[in-house]
Amino acid sequence: MHRYRFTMPDKRTLVANLVLLVLAGAAVMTSLSMGTVQIAPAEVIRALTGTTVDPMAAFVINELRLSRVMAGLLSGAALALAGCLMQTLARNRLATPGIIGIDNAATAFAVASVVGTGIALAPSAMALAGAATATVLAFGLAGANGTRGYRFIVAGLGIGAIAGAVTQVMLSQVAIDDANAAYPWTVGSLNARTPESVQLLALGLAVGWLALMFLSRAVNSLQFSDPVAITLGIKLKRTRLLGLGLSVLMTGLAVSVCGPVGLVALLAPELARSLCRPGKVPLTASALAGAGFMVVADLLGRTLLSPLEIPVGIITAIVGSPYLLWILLRPSTRSLT
Amino acid sequence: MSQHKPIKRFFTAAAALLGAMALGQACAATHSVDTAYGTVTINSEPQRVVTLYEGALDSALAVGANAIGAVITRGGNDVAEYIKPLAGDIAIVGAPAETNIEAVIAARPDIILAPAQTNQQQYQLLSRIAPVVVSNVPLFQADSWEQETRLFGRALGRDEAAETVIEDVKARIAEVAALVEKTVPEDQRDATLVRWMPQGPLVMAEGLFSVTLLQAVGFQVTDNGLVGDSRPHSQPLSLENLVRMDQNWVFLATLNADGQQALEAARQTPAFNRLKANGQDRVVAVNGQLWTSATGPLAANAILDDIETALAKLAP
Amino acid sequence: MSASLSARAKPRNVVASRPLLLPLTAAGFFLFWVIVASLVYGAGPVTPLEVLATLVGQGSSEAWFVVTELRLPRTLIGLTTGLALGIAGALLQAMTRNPLAEPGLLGVSAGAGFAVAVAILVGASTATLTTLIAQAGALAGCSLVIAATRVQGLGNDPVRLVLAGATLSGLLLALTSMLMLMDQRAADEIRFWITGSIAGKTLATFQATLPSLVIALALVVVVARPLAAMALGERAAVGLGHHPGRIRFLITIIVALLVGAATALAGPLIFVGLVVPFIARAFAGPDIRKTLWLCLPIGPAVVLAADVVSRLIAAPAEMPLGVVTALIGAPVLLAIVRAGRMPSL
Repeated sequence: MHRYRFTMPDKRTLVANLVLLVLAGAAVMTSLSMGTVQIAPAEVIRALTGTTVDPMAAFVINELRLSRVMAGLLSGAALALAGCLMQTLARNRLATPGIIGIDNAATAFAVASVVGTGIALAPSAMALAGAATATVLAFGLAGANGTRGYRFIVAGLGIGAIAGAVTQVMLSQVAIDDANAAYPWTVGSLNARTPESVQLLALGLAVGWLALMFLSRAVNSLQFSDPVAITLGIKLKRTRLLGLGLSVLMTGLAVSVCGPVGLVALLAPELARSLCRPGKVPLTASALAGAGFMVVADLLGRTLLSPLEIPVGIITAIVGSPYLLWILLRPSTRSLT
Repeated sequence: MSQHKPIKRFFTAAAALLGAMALGQACAATHSVDTAYGTVTINSEPQRVVTLYEGALDSALAVGANAIGAVITRGGNDVAEYIKPLAGDIAIVGAPAETNIEAVIAARPDIILAPAQTNQQQYQLLSRIAPVVVSNVPLFQADSWEQETRLFGRALGRDEAAETVIEDVKARIAEVAALVEKTVPEDQRDATLVRWMPQGPLVMAEGLFSVTLLQAVGFQVTDNGLVGDSRPHSQPLSLENLVRMDQNWVFLATLNADGQQALEAARQTPAFNRLKANGQDRVVAVNGQLWTSATGPLAANAILDDIETALAKLAP
Repeated sequence: MSASLSARAKPRNVVASRPLLLPLTAAGFFLFWVIVASLVYGAGPVTPLEVLATLVGQGSSEAWFVVTELRLPRTLIGLTTGLALGIAGALLQAMTRNPLAEPGLLGVSAGAGFAVAVAILVGASTATLTTLIAQAGALAGCSLVIAATRVQGLGNDPVRLVLAGATLSGLLLALTSMLMLMDQRAADEIRFWITGSIAGKTLATFQATLPSLVIALALVVVVARPLAAMALGERAAVGLGHHPGRIRFLITIIVALLVGAATALAGPLIFVGLVVPFIARAFAGPDIRKTLWLCLPIGPAVVLAADVVSRLIAAPAEMPLGVVTALIGAPVLLAIVRAGRMPSL
């Protein structure tokens, strides 16, 4: 009866979460204070608390930067949480939504609704549908081969390639200038977000995180082999379905905000795992790390070529790819899955 | 902490500026302009003008205002070459479709001139910084530039300068029109303007600024129905369909490089060499930044100069 | 060109092994019709009937011009691209013994594309130079891949290598996007080069790639027999008097030349090097020499067919060829991965 119960994290996880929270907070402060106009951290706090006397600082912080930083925080957290969850479900460290093609599929579906293919659903709903489709495909194709190992991942690669091509097909149907305008979004950018999609994401993330806190014992036991998990009293099928559903929900909603920002879902859980107690699935820590990572990446994108902007997806690809390559090419790669 | 001092000073200055504006509204002369977002009240002679599209920069400089911020030209990293000498080291505040609002704030404008397609959300953010004049002039009409110059001239408190500038351009048009009348036989005045891309030419719309000028001086310019409604240009035209731009005159531009280079690239394609304009040296290489992207009185004069040069080559 | 090569191939292979005759003829036949289709269908007003009239020596001068000056070069470029990518894929797969080792997937094409983007940024624009630079980029990418397969464990793990390659591709694409952002002036031109497409490419580019293609194909002839021996294992190859190191080196050069040329012609096309050898192997079995012969007609046929589809599917505009090859190729990738047993090479 107590399978799904809120469990308190252990001490090391608590400390790790605290550290990551502080880091994410620092990233937010830096991101709020840096830009074409520099604003001192003290002034940032005054603006946030509404005690500033400077109307311009209040304007820049509260109306220009805050919503963007929030969108980055939320989408980074959602992507990382979804990634960590999916890694655990597939028992495969590489099984993150971006790598197995879910991001691309969600993008393709969302673009379909944007370029007007006659489908009148909102981009968020379409992104969710796309994420769900790709997940079903990836896990379905893995079938008897299982989700461990690289075969599953390459199947996802194929799905991602098809979805990417479909996006291109749709963009080639619209006027060349519109297609160029859609380009940043298809590589992942926080510039094209709508307030509605950010609100939906906030809701989805809150639901997902809370549900996972109650599921954490079950999720932890998924790391073990099936018989062990069953012995621990876990309803495997139900837990898997729930976990997968939550992961799809958060990926889809995040993609509808920021597009397919790659590798956040891989790097953030990596960092979280190295900080937390081995053997536990670091869900909250992943979310915090993802949130911080996304905010920093977006800050770099905004400031490096200022006043022009680099889409955040390009930054995460440039930062994240070498790390993924290092994981893959290490001669002494331990059990990767 | 010392590095924050200038920032503080900046914000104090900004606050002072806002205060001064509030005071100014009470005592100094103000005037109001009708814009796409209603009537806007402006301090009589704005001193720091930020322009968010090329036509606004052109008009502002033409009437002698102090433009201190602009967006880059399409396909460039700076303002268009034709206007660079006048604009000088102007602050860049974004790209045509993507204004960097923080950069606008940093420029500390006392007026912002914005394009017609500025949306409500952007408008509201921008009007927190300074009065925003969003053009309410319908695009793609023969006198769009004229109305826009008038609008921006009035906004900048330089109505008379705007009228003078417009009259000057009209006089130039009449001059060049007379030249066309003299040098080009009447049945050979059909023309087309294309932007040459590696994958094929884009035929520019009939309502485009430079095209309306070509028409004003006597050319019959057509886009052969290739351009959709209210679009600036067609999809890339397949080389097999090049006959559809086969006019007596072809004005050829790229955004990337000067027109001459575009012409050389075009001449490497056999389909291009079959055009009748090519056989008669009536392919005129032009700068795409000026011809396919710019609007305004300064651009008009530069374009008219180009036409005159092309005609001069023709004269025996 | 490839048609005549494969035609000459027939007599020799009839003696060697009969089963190759049928697929080779079938592929040649298919290729012939694809070539006809690529000449007949186009965006312009010249109708298929007029084209056929032109081909038999009649028809208007306008139709003659469109067919010979516009469509024929494109067909030639498509043929060459398919040939190069098919052969490169077959060689790379045979050498790494990895049915997924595809130049596009492994980042070789992305390396070539990135090199071209850098070159455009610093102002290079002639066809010859672009080809050379693309080949240099492909060489770097190819060397990386070969070096990666030497990493212990990775060579035996086909799928891991592919994932590493895909990551490398992603990284290079992101860097290319950065370059485009940094210089808006070059962006249009770079975008034209890195979009997989053979539309609007000129004969000058084709001519610039010819010498290296000839060299590469000559090297293929040299390397085919030792490579087949290596399929028996490195020791067997050494026993037969071959030098595995030297073969690897040669193949790196060949693949770089071929992929670089193909990228200069058509931009980075992924999956062609996967699909073509996949089909060829289905008929030819494990012998690399037979596979290579079959790749000669199949490669051009696949690329040209994809190009015809790309013209028709979005008419009157055109879809990038790379999109079509991805739509054809990704399911093949899924099929290979889905197959219970990885086909051994």
